[in-house]
Amino acid sequence: MIKSVGIVGAGTMGNGIAQVAARAGFDVVLYDISTEVLKDAMARIKEDFRRGVEKGKITATEATEAFSAIHPRRNFGDMGNADFIIEAVAEDLNVKKEIFKKLDAIVAPEAILTSNTSSLSISAIASLTKTPESVVGMHFFNPPALMKLVEVVRGRQTSDETTKTACDLALRMKKIPVVCKDTPGFIVNRVARPFYGEALRLLAEGVATVEEIDMIVKMEGGFKMGPFELMDLIGIDVNYAVTKSVYEQFFHEPRFRPHPIQRQMVEAGTLGRKTKKGFYTYK
Amino acid sequence: MAKGKQVCILGESPLVVEYASLCLNKGFKVHARLNVSSKSAKLPKGIKRVPKPTRSTDIALELTNISIKEKKKNLIELDRIVRPKVPILSSCVTVTAAEQSGWITRPARLIGLGALPSLLEGTLIELATSDATDKPSIAAAKEFTKAVGKNCALVRDSVGLVLPRIVCMLANEACFALMEGVAAKRDIDTAMKLGTNYPFGPIEWAERIGLRQVFAVMAALHQEFGEDRYRVAPLLRQGALQNVFPGG
Repeated sequence: MIKSVGIVGAGTMGNGIAQVAARAGFDVVLYDISTEVLKDAMARIKEDFRRGVEKGKITATEATEAFSAIHPRRNFGDMGNADFIIEAVAEDLNVKKEIFKKLDAIVAPEAILTSNTSSLSISAIASLTKTPESVVGMHFFNPPALMKLVEVVRGRQTSDETTKTACDLALRMKKIPVVCKDTPGFIVNRVARPFYGEALRLLAEGVATVEEIDMIVKMEGGFKMGPFELMDLIGIDVNYAVTKSVYEQFFHEPRFRPHPIQRQMVEAGTLGRKTKKGFYTYK
Repeated sequence: MAKGKQVCILGESPLVVEYASLCLNKGFKVHARLNVSSKSAKLPKGIKRVPKPTRSTDIALELTNISIKEKKKNLIELDRIVRPKVPILSSCVTVTAAEQSGWITRPARLIGLGALPSLLEGTLIELATSDATDKPSIAAAKEFTKAVGKNCALVRDSVGLVLPRIVCMLANEACFALMEGVAAKRDIDTAMKLGTNYPFGPIEWAERIGLRQVFAVMAALHQEFGEDRYRVAPLLRQGALQNVFPGG
């Protein structure tokens, strides 16, 4: 039975997952290399819990309990006692591989190691551990406190038992796990590609304008957001990077080919909402 | 607005049933004829089955996406029988309005319609014109969409138009993922609904629209663009043959 969860990286995903884990009754060790990041993370978690109490989503006692279950740590070795590790650092294969190599040396042999990667190969990350059968992907969506979905990604060597343990843990965190094979983009980032790719092509071909396409997709199709609004929200650069990554990992499969409009917008620095300018202009 | 007006609808099921029901609901007198390939489909009460197009109709609809042969036959027949100024709205998701306008003698009255099963659940209908389409016909088509309680968007005449092209491409990609064993059918749908907030999972959406219809749109896109990007997932092709995915 898993009691203690170690989280590597206290950025947006890491601190969000820490909250969810603490709320589910786990003891959480939240590790980050930076004191600053850890401090910010704990402040953010405190604030989120406070707001949760304010909105009546949790009681003050529950919030206090959950908050005190999260232990911010700068010493990597402090994760040695965790039964279940969730890595949530930057999307850099070399950084992740280094962390998994270090984790392999400190955790118990039966501990499960997971990565919150959205685009890297779990099989590659697992390759540097002595127990690749105990390594599995756990792709949470942003923000982790709100998004129900977790893609549980089976690497080439992941065991059935590890997959099941990760699914059970997701369920205990009140998430909905879906199991998928370690393939580029997993499910969501792969199947969603045409939503953006076709919209960009429709725009380039002059079939309809940005505004028209968004309106049609919402009113005719029942989507909550149009593709251009959504790209602006995600960030043109982030969306372009995901598309490029899936495209390259599939050895240039034309279904995933990025569109020149995306590249041009990234080059122009019009990245969507965060720069106030993307397909739309924001004030 | 529709009170007492008559609409004559030709085409395949379930599109004819969906449009006929909506028109009937909105006060049109509805005459309909199903294609030979959809003969067994049932039409709701109040819709009159006709052996041939009604000459005196106020508006005509041709709703065939799958069999281009049947579509062409229907359009030629409508053009020949229905009074000359009456607009013909013809689904144009698998063959452009431009191409269809070459089949008939009065192309000025032809307007393309973004008709795909289940999309009438939405609040907007896409329209497209050919170069030959005249202004009164465009106005009449817009008035028709208003009369059936929908907004309309006039987009450029292109295979799949906007929404059908996007949704069919999502379904096609989901079929590739399913075929490659990336995840189970239900998990793909769950992931897309929860991860991206889509109204339906792409697999269930394909089933709602009908696998044959999705296949027809994909095949038309592939033919139109000649790009590998639009090649049909073999699983979708297999599913379309029996209108259900292999293995259920």
